[in-house]
Amino acid sequence: MTTQVFKIPDSFKKDVRYTFCPGCDHGVAVRLVAEVLDELGLTQNTICAASIGCSVTIYDFLNIDTIESPHGRAMAVATGVKRAKPDKFVFTYQGDGDFASIGLAESMHAALRGEKISAICINNTTYGMTGGQLGPTTILGQVTTTSPTGRNLEYYGYPIKIAEHIALCDGTAFSARVSLDTVANIKKAKQAIKKAFEVQMKGLGLGFVEILSSCPTNWKMSPDKAHQRVREEMMPVFNLGIYKDVTQS
Amino acid sequence: MTQCLTGKKVLMKGNYAIANAAVLAGCECYFGYPITPQSEIGEFMSGKMQELGRAYVSAESELAAINMTIGACSTGAKAMTSSSSCAVSLMQEGLSYATSDQLPVVLVSVMRGGPGLGNIYPSQGDYFQATKGGGNGDYHLIVLAPSTVQECADLTYKAFYLAHKYKNPTVLLADGMLGQMMEPVEFKKYPYPEIDNSKWALDGAKGRTNRVIRSYAPLASNQCVYLEELYKKYKLIEENEVEWEEIGTEDADVVLVSFGSSARNAKIAAKLLREKGVKAGILRPITLYPFPAKRLSELALKVKKFITVEVNMGQMVNDVRLAVNGKVPVELIHKPVGIPPAPVEIVKQVEELI
Amino acid sequence: MEKVIVIAGFGGQGVLLAGEVLANAFMLDNKNVTWYPSYGAEMRGGTVNCSVTVSDDEIGNVESPTSDFIIVLNQASFDKFEPLVKEGGTIIVNTSLANKVQNRHDINYVFAPITRLAEEKLGSNKMSNILSLGILSVSSGLVSTSTLEKALNNVIPPHRRNLIPKNVEALKLGYEYDLLKV
Repeated sequence: MTTQVFKIPDSFKKDVRYTFCPGCDHGVAVRLVAEVLDELGLTQNTICAASIGCSVTIYDFLNIDTIESPHGRAMAVATGVKRAKPDKFVFTYQGDGDFASIGLAESMHAALRGEKISAICINNTTYGMTGGQLGPTTILGQVTTTSPTGRNLEYYGYPIKIAEHIALCDGTAFSARVSLDTVANIKKAKQAIKKAFEVQMKGLGLGFVEILSSCPTNWKMSPDKAHQRVREEMMPVFNLGIYKDVTQS
Repeated sequence: MTQCLTGKKVLMKGNYAIANAAVLAGCECYFGYPITPQSEIGEFMSGKMQELGRAYVSAESELAAINMTIGACSTGAKAMTSSSSCAVSLMQEGLSYATSDQLPVVLVSVMRGGPGLGNIYPSQGDYFQATKGGGNGDYHLIVLAPSTVQECADLTYKAFYLAHKYKNPTVLLADGMLGQMMEPVEFKKYPYPEIDNSKWALDGAKGRTNRVIRSYAPLASNQCVYLEELYKKYKLIEENEVEWEEIGTEDADVVLVSFGSSARNAKIAAKLLREKGVKAGILRPITLYPFPAKRLSELALKVKKFITVEVNMGQMVNDVRLAVNGKVPVELIHKPVGIPPAPVEIVKQVEELI
Repeated sequence: MEKVIVIAGFGGQGVLLAGEVLANAFMLDNKNVTWYPSYGAEMRGGTVNCSVTVSDDEIGNVESPTSDFIIVLNQASFDKFEPLVKEGGTIIVNTSLANKVQNRHDINYVFAPITRLAEEKLGSNKMSNILSLGILSVSSGLVSTSTLEKALNNVIPPHRRNLIPKNVEALKLGYEYDLLKV
């Protein structure tokens, strides 16, 4: 008698080559999304709005209907999808630059309208696909290809704390920041994603999860060191936690 | 103004006629942001769509509006947005994506003065914007140009039909004059067949492999194949969908070419010229893309001169010149912005040019 | 035969609505008709006007530089539009808010204290616009008051139906106003 303890989620494609950089947390995040879609029985009732950046390739890995959005517009595209087909489960998968820089207006307004959609935002403090430039979440002092001496206030100002901002919007039902640096945190991340999906299914409003994620390639670090950076440099600025949960109040 | 009428002549602004026709065409989703001179469209839709339980969003920007329309269209829904000139500029990215994604986006563009903020008076200064596109890459938008309030309604129907038939963004290109003027209009039933979108639309991948609507083709070879396919579609559109109106061209020495609101005055001018003994005719393109280039090139074999009448600094005149290809001279009568040149003014200028 | 009628006044006088009623009446008479408003970055209380063009043929111009009939409800509109009446045309002047002056000899003047009449006989200056259409009806012969009455029904929204009898009264008052008395 054997028990299956590990399987590839049904929402995950079986026959594709994984194209994220080695050690990148995107892979874990996408897998968590797939597991939650499976567990909530959503795989065949979901439409995803993909974004621009490393996150765009989500449609290569998941067995779900997907539309690619222009840079920053995933929340607007998702709004259109959901308003046209309110009975479908709709989520976006974006990076911090897409969600909180070029798409900040779309993101905030979707939250303010209380769109019944879910949004996953990968925060890796840089523009990954274009080669590691300064982004809206780049932390003070961080060296990037467009902040060669580190982010300073004079030239760049402050990074944005996305989960806190989204939590402030009255239409947000759930907003949390999680991390993928340890197994325990990965488990918590999955719970948060599930919650963000469930609030949509219950029609409570926007469900949002910001995922602190490593980018070993652009950070020029080993995967281990990258996770260490997530803990030591990112978490003090971007505190983990649930910032809003209407089901708890 | 919240009624939706069929089978009765009513006096209505062009903007309301467009909105009313959109609802009658079965538009399920409207997304928009206010801008003069087209705000009545969003105002009408806000009430009507809610009354009918259809989708309406006051978008945070035109960027959001066009992308919401893209999202809705990806599910096969009939969806539209409307805007004007400087704000249509903000939609160019979305339109480029929508052509690449092959989505049936309907955009109502009610032109005002430009460039930049310009002013809110009528203009045809966005002929280039609509027909040549401000977005990146090789693509075409189908462009329909109404000339009366009745056509505002009829061509709105057609815009939905063509957008879905060809899975290509379609623009109803009106202007501030047509948007703001009232004229009697009669709404027929939506006259076109419903297009089956079930072969490509996103609906949750139940019992089938998943669908991805995307424009990102990482390999150059993919993009080559893709563009060749896309342009086969445009060839089909050019062969099948060119529409124009032609009056008095059989024996004409001079043919006025004019679209939209200015064509109204050009038509009267052609009539006045005939009364004065000038053999004048008029060709009014109704589709600006596809452009009636073939017909113009046929006419160029017997006509002595073409004169375009436009409210801009001379835009469509370039397409007429391309079509005529040097066979006969092509001149321009224009007004930079505002109400089109009056018929007597056109007559005067034609007499100077011939 | 194409005729152009302009109605002008200040914001709040119901100029655009009067134009819409008139244009509807022409439509009910099976004429071709266009209505075109002055529009712009307008402010409340500023001047406003609309152009109604009626014809048996197709209409090109929706806003002609000159007009056959002009109703001016205030002084600013009189100043602006008196020079723009076509030779042989008619200007209807609201003498409650504009001076009784004749600067031209090639046009007809119709003077009537439109606002005062509306206030005194109908209890509201808001009826001035429709009252002026009654005067236009009798002085132009272009449209009957019975058609204008039908047009009112087209224009006034259902939740304002109670205002129709008052407006019909205004039309009648304008039509029956003794123009010779002035």
